[in-house]
Parts: sequence; structure tokens; C-alpha cells
Amino acid sequence: MNPTLWSTIHSEWIKFRTVRSTVTGLATLIVLTLGIGVIICLAIKAHWGDPGSHFDHLLFDPTSVSLGGLFLAQFAAGAVGIITITSEYNTGSIRTTLSAVPHRARLVVAKTVVLFASLTVIGEVVVFAAFTIGQAIFRGTVPTASFNQAGVLRAVLMAGLYVALLTVLGLGIGLILRTTAFSIIVFTTLLLILPIIVNFLPSSLKDGINKFLPANLGSAMYAPLPTAQNFSWGVATLVLLSYVAVVIVVGTVLMQRRDA
Amino acid sequence: MLKVDHLSKQYHDTLAINDLDFEVKPGVVTGFLGPNGSGKSTTMRVIMGLDRPTKGRATINGKVYADLESPLREVGALLDAKSLNPQRSARNHLRALAASNKIPFARVDAVLEFVGIASVANKKVGGFSLGMSQRLGIAGALLGDPGILLFDEPVNGLDPEGIRWIREFFRSLASEGRTVFVSSHLMSEMAVSADQIIVIGRGRFITAGSVDELTASATGTVLVRSNSSDRLRSLLTAARQVEVLNDDALSVTGLSCEAIGELAFANGIALHELTPQRASLEEVFMDLTADSVEYGHHNPELAS
Repeated sequence: MNPTLWSTIHSEWIKFRTVRSTVTGLATLIVLTLGIGVIICLAIKAHWGDPGSHFDHLLFDPTSVSLGGLFLAQFAAGAVGIITITSEYNTGSIRTTLSAVPHRARLVVAKTVVLFASLTVIGEVVVFAAFTIGQAIFRGTVPTASFNQAGVLRAVLMAGLYVALLTVLGLGIGLILRTTAFSIIVFTTLLLILPIIVNFLPSSLKDGINKFLPANLGSAMYAPLPTAQNFSWGVATLVLLSYVAVVIVVGTVLMQRRDA
Repeated sequence: MLKVDHLSKQYHDTLAINDLDFEVKPGVVTGFLGPNGSGKSTTMRVIMGLDRPTKGRATINGKVYADLESPLREVGALLDAKSLNPQRSARNHLRALAASNKIPFARVDAVLEFVGIASVANKKVGGFSLGMSQRLGIAGALLGDPGILLFDEPVNGLDPEGIRWIREFFRSLASEGRTVFVSSHLMSEMAVSADQIIVIGRGRFITAGSVDELTASATGTVLVRSNSSDRLRSLLTAARQVEVLNDDALSVTGLSCEAIGELAFANGIALHELTPQRASLEEVFMDLTADSVEYGHHNPELAS
């Protein structure tokens, strides 16, 4: 790899791990994924024998359920990505950064590499932990999943990747909007508000649009078996990757054109 | 060598800098002087590749900033001391900068020591005073041991001891053969800290030269005292302006002492005093930028 890109990555890595907001964001991500996962799994175990729960049992997927904490944790992942760039604009330190690294595209690549690599590692560790803890809670009462079942290992691996991709999506949104508050609103809208709005549309439209929403792409990525309403995990991963790529490229072009 | 080549920068409908064209030479401290809002910071941002010029370009050793391979080794700048992430420690801030330009970390400790903030190197910069942030900014500028240094309003926020330190520091950088470019809106500051001065107003180049040249080029007046000041006055037809100060004193504008002295001698007039009145640099500055102050003090006519 280009030695100059390596030094930019080294610099961004130092910046990434030496601010409290990164540490807080990552801690929140871990606590939410594990904590909410544990609460959901304990609740399911406690109410497994409740009368009338037969229908729930038919659709029960111990893998996805143990990763349920990601529904909230994904906002922490996005926030980590967003703050990586918006904090530089908020504080004005972007000017110091660009004096040292005037090549904007190289800077974005370095930030992307640092975020993607760090969050892949942290994401995989936390989703494997959430899965393992969830199955341990279920054991004895509730059906459990294991890695020798079809699609389970892949589903857990993709859950970790989903976390990393959302973080980079956050970086791209931050590059475009440059303010933390505005970026978090847009990120939350994409993941949380858009599905609610789409829900108001007629079914004929709704089903076509729903599968393209980032949260449903995530569900498709970390479901062990394909579902009728979502893309297959492979297509879902590619669609999400292309969203991330578009947002990062647009953010980079805007950064190159705008005054810092 | 720092060169600004017919540079213009327009923000929406404001022309912040208008066809600026100058060179900043190594080995001297060059002051960049202009009233607030005259385009000094904009010029520095364009030099640093932060803002894109509308026309023209600024080059460092022949290259635009974006093409510098290791910019911190060629240019060190302190534009805004508070442009820092407050959560990061001083040492980590400098280490991140050093890493980006492959500068060894040992240099980080050396510059922290040099600017006198080594004892707070591990403290978060959010708690720094403006003076400490200025010193950290200077440490950042020196990190790559660059040949060109830019400082935007560096004395703001410094205490008198700090101001004295920074003046001597600029001198020593220049004496090592570096290019030192320092902006200020304070004429008095430039008069003591700069060798060469570039004056701008409302984004336009006004004049450049050494402190002495600028004062000398200003419209000088000569104080003349004589018993026959009335008669002398009638002979000073070549002067641009003759002001009667009192019975025996005149203030003559537009004629040299030599010319006045010879004229008096030729007409048999005894002179008691013939003194050139040097304009202070402050007056020169006010004179030069009088038309270019964006938010000047007007003398409002108070309605009675």
C-alpha cells in the first residue's frame, strides 16, 4: 500500500482512540447489544410456556433474537462514525487535519479504513458474545441455534459486518452534513423513521420499498434462513455496501469542493 | 519561498481578496498588515489549501499546498489556536499530526519542551488557556521543522511576557533563514516585530516595503522656524501645503529640508529651526488604509 496512505491511517488511528467520544460510543454499542439481547432472551425464556404462544414458537429464530440488541446498538455505531468527522468540523480541528493531510480523498479513505477495521473487530466480538450468551440463556427451555446449523455462522458474521457498515454510513452522512445533530437526525430517519412512513403506503408499494430500507437489509444479513419479504443475505449485503459507497463518494466530492 | 500569484477569493457576493500578488522572502520576518476583515485570514487559508481560490494561486516552493507530499515538513502554520479537539491531550494531538507526515514521536516531546508546555502534555487541551493553546499551536507548526512559517494574529491572547517571547522567537526563526509570515491588525505590533511589511485593505494590496521605507514614503512634513516666517511663506510656492503654526513657525508639506534651507539662504532669511517630522508607522497605516476600513468609525452627526 502507498506509504503516505499508511501514515494517514496511522494518524487517524491515533485520533480515533484518543477521544472520549469514541470510547463512550463503543462502550454504548457493546452494552446495548449485550444488555438488550440478555433482556429479550430472558423474557422469552420466562414466557415460553405461556398459553397461546404456539404461533410465536413456529416463527422463533434463536439467532436473530439473541442479536435483537442491535436494533438499538446500531445508533451507537452510526454515532461513532458521524462524530469521527463532525467533531472535526465542530471544533475547527478539520483545518489542522487538512494542513497535515491536504489530500481530502486520502483522508476519507484513511478514516474509512480505521472505522471499518475497528468496528468489524468490535462488532464481530460483540455479536458472537451476544449470540453465545443468548443460546446459554435459552438452553434447556427454548430451542437453541448452533454454528453447525445452516446459515447460523454466516448470520452472526454478517451481523458484525452490518455494525461496521453502519458506522461507515454514519461517516459518509457526517461528511455531507458536517454537523453532529443534523447527521444523527438523518441517520435515525433512515433506520427508524423511514420504515414507519413506508408502513403507511399501500401494500403493493410497501413490499417493494421495504426490502431496500437499511434496517431490513440488516435483518436479511443476520437471519440464518432467507425470508419471503426480504432480499437474500448476499443481495442485502451488496445493496447496503452500495449505499455506503455512494454516501462516502458524495461526501468526499463535497469535501473536495467546499472550503474547510 | 512563499508566493501569492494574482489571488482572488469570492464568498457568495463578497470579494474577500482581490488580485493579491506578492512574495514572502526567507530570512526576514514579514508582517501581513490590514484592518480586521481585510482578507488576511482568507489569504492564509488559501495558502494552506483550506479554501479554494476563485482566481490565481498560492505556491510553496513552486507547488500548491495540496501537492505537497509532507506539508508539515515544508510549512508550519498557526491559524486558529482553538481549532483543536478539546477531548484530546496535547501530546496525542501532536502525535496524530506527526504520524500523518512520518515525523518521529521524539520530535513531539522536543517541541512540547521548546514551547514550555511539556508539563501539561498529557492534559486535555479543552482545559488550556488561550495562551497555552497558542503555544501548542506553535509546537504543531514547528513539528516538521519547516522552512516556511505562517502565523495568523499570533499575539492575540498572549500576556506581555508571551508577546516578548514570540517576537524574539520570530526573529530567531528568520535568522535561521526561514520564511516567517505573520499577520496582524496592529500596526504597533508589526513595527516592532516585522522587518518587511505587506499592507492590504479590503482584500486589495496597498503597499509593501521595510518599516523604514514605509515611513519614509509617507508624506513628510518639515517644521520651519524663522523670524521672517511671513516672508518665507510667500516664497514657498513650490510646497504642497504650508500651515502657519504660530508667529514664527510653519509646517511645510511637500518640500525637503534642503530645498527649504536653500530657498531661505538665497533670500537672506535666517532659520532658527528646520526639522523633518517623521510620520509614525501608525499614521502611515491609518493614512494608507483610511479608504479600506470595512467597519470604520464614522463621526455620526448627532441630531440635536
